[in-house]
Amino acid sequence: MSVVAGSARRAARRPAGPAAAPRHRSRLRRAARWAFLLPAGGYVLFAFAIPIAYNLVLSFEQTSPATISHLTAPFAGLSNYTATLTNPVADSAIVRTFSFTAASLLFQFLIGFALALLFNLRFPLRRFARSLILVPWLLPLLVTGTMFKFLFQLQGGAVNQILIDLHLIRQPIGYELSPGWAYVTVLITNIWIGVPFFTVLLYSALQDVPAELLEAARIDGAGPWQRLTRVTLPVIRPVIEVVFILGFVFTVKVFDVVIGLTQGGPANSTQLIATWAYNLTFQDFDFGAGAALNTVLLLIALFAAPLYIWLNRQTLRGESP
Amino acid sequence: MRTATRRRLAAAAASIAALAALVVLLFPLYAVVVASFETNSQLFGASQYSFFPSVWTLSNYTTVLSQQGSHVLSSLIIGAGTTAATLAIALPAAHALARYRFRATALLVGSLLVAQILPSIVIANSLFLIYHQLGLLNSYLGLIIADASYAIPFGILVLRAFMLGLPGDVIAAARVDGASEWQAFCRVVLPMSRSAIITVALFAFLNGWGDFIFALTLLNGNTFEPVTLSIYTYLGEFSQNWGEAMALAVFAVLPAAMLLIAAQRYIAAGLTVGSVKG
Repeated sequence: MSVVAGSARRAARRPAGPAAAPRHRSRLRRAARWAFLLPAGGYVLFAFAIPIAYNLVLSFEQTSPATISHLTAPFAGLSNYTATLTNPVADSAIVRTFSFTAASLLFQFLIGFALALLFNLRFPLRRFARSLILVPWLLPLLVTGTMFKFLFQLQGGAVNQILIDLHLIRQPIGYELSPGWAYVTVLITNIWIGVPFFTVLLYSALQDVPAELLEAARIDGAGPWQRLTRVTLPVIRPVIEVVFILGFVFTVKVFDVVIGLTQGGPANSTQLIATWAYNLTFQDFDFGAGAALNTVLLLIALFAAPLYIWLNRQTLRGESP
Repeated sequence: MRTATRRRLAAAAASIAALAALVVLLFPLYAVVVASFETNSQLFGASQYSFFPSVWTLSNYTTVLSQQGSHVLSSLIIGAGTTAATLAIALPAAHALARYRFRATALLVGSLLVAQILPSIVIANSLFLIYHQLGLLNSYLGLIIADASYAIPFGILVLRAFMLGLPGDVIAAARVDGASEWQAFCRVVLPMSRSAIITVALFAFLNGWGDFIFALTLLNGNTFEPVTLSIYTYLGEFSQNWGEAMALAVFAVLPAAMLLIAAQRYIAAGLTVGSVKG
């Protein structure tokens, strides 16, 4: 890159005039411009494009532990897909990923919006509380999963203790042992992680709602609920759309939290697509089957891509935000 | 008078509600910090969970420091390497995408948006086999390349959005004064982009530091291990050694806590700019 930039520098120093070869110079300048993009282009190719393409290739290959040391394996047609998708564990992992995502987003939005409305009021501790609320979002996800595993322990777990102290339960619950409860603990943990994200984005949207608009509605006799549903919500709707799409993208690929908390158990009751694909690839060493399930996950995640790009259309056109 | 009292009451109610929300949200962290100062017999010997133990011990920390110090160092190397790689790759690209009009600009930015969406497990699956061929498994270089996959698309988009807002005539003036494109980028664009660079650097560091999925798939634990992976393997081997695991967890959350105190403004900026406008 420095070579190209150097020649561009020399080209720039040459006095501009009819004597200089304009064609040669403009080609150099264009090369210099592309040189800025070269490292990023190489990276995208190596870390995104090639792995994604290779995953697709793998999903059509008959892999085995013996083929790991080769880049290619015999062609297998659709057998990885049929074998993986007719497996009941994979099927329920796909369904569970959708229900998990929907439930996560719903609660993250409800809690996050309530907190955003709260922070939009004027009160002394506002700034302090708003910064502390970011903490769950910044922690390593595996640590969060481990933390909640500790809280939900059967013996000496804080959650059981709180529920007993509040007289809500008499006997401690074995969250790790029951499929239903294990799912709920993963869900609660994931909601906890996402609430700060929803809160901060919705809060900044609320800050941008014009005060005159709310005031005008108040003068026209609109109550607090009407002002919320008729003025605030329509105004911040674009941000709500963004938050839901990003939340969807984050949640369909949840992995660390499940591994930290339950490792997909008990009896695969908390397996999501990403964790089951990991199991197929790195526990069973069936790279082809793992790649087939990964392709399913990829298609689900890419479902959000057109919407995401559309929401960012201004950025795409190069307008300053 | 009456409205003033009412307003004060409302503010007090809001403060109490916010405090209650904070207590619920931050209790897990409190429990982890407290547990890191307790012995295992305190944690599991008693049938009850105690919210405030009577005896505190530092033994978990001495054990963790003597056994896990190298893992903390590994995480620091990975975090710093991810930051360096992200800035080195994202800064020039963001500059070019903000300043020049390529025919492919929309396509390039669009593909970065899509790159942000790709699930890491899909990449990890393929990278394992590719790294196996290239000899990059169990190496810092390989892990840092993989870990930067969160931060590089994010970094390019955030930096570009910021650079689009820079005054173009200042850069043009530097060019007229004889500076090359590269010099103008280094001496004019970079200093003016300071705040966006800090935001991206922070997120890149936290991503590298907190990564688990690539460490789990691309390392076998025989060479080096970041803290996240070490907590996981530790609990796998000594499933009841919670006190020490929680002390290790405190180490793992330390950078996030410190950065939040020192650079809160940049983190909040990254969250909003990166998602709504990036």
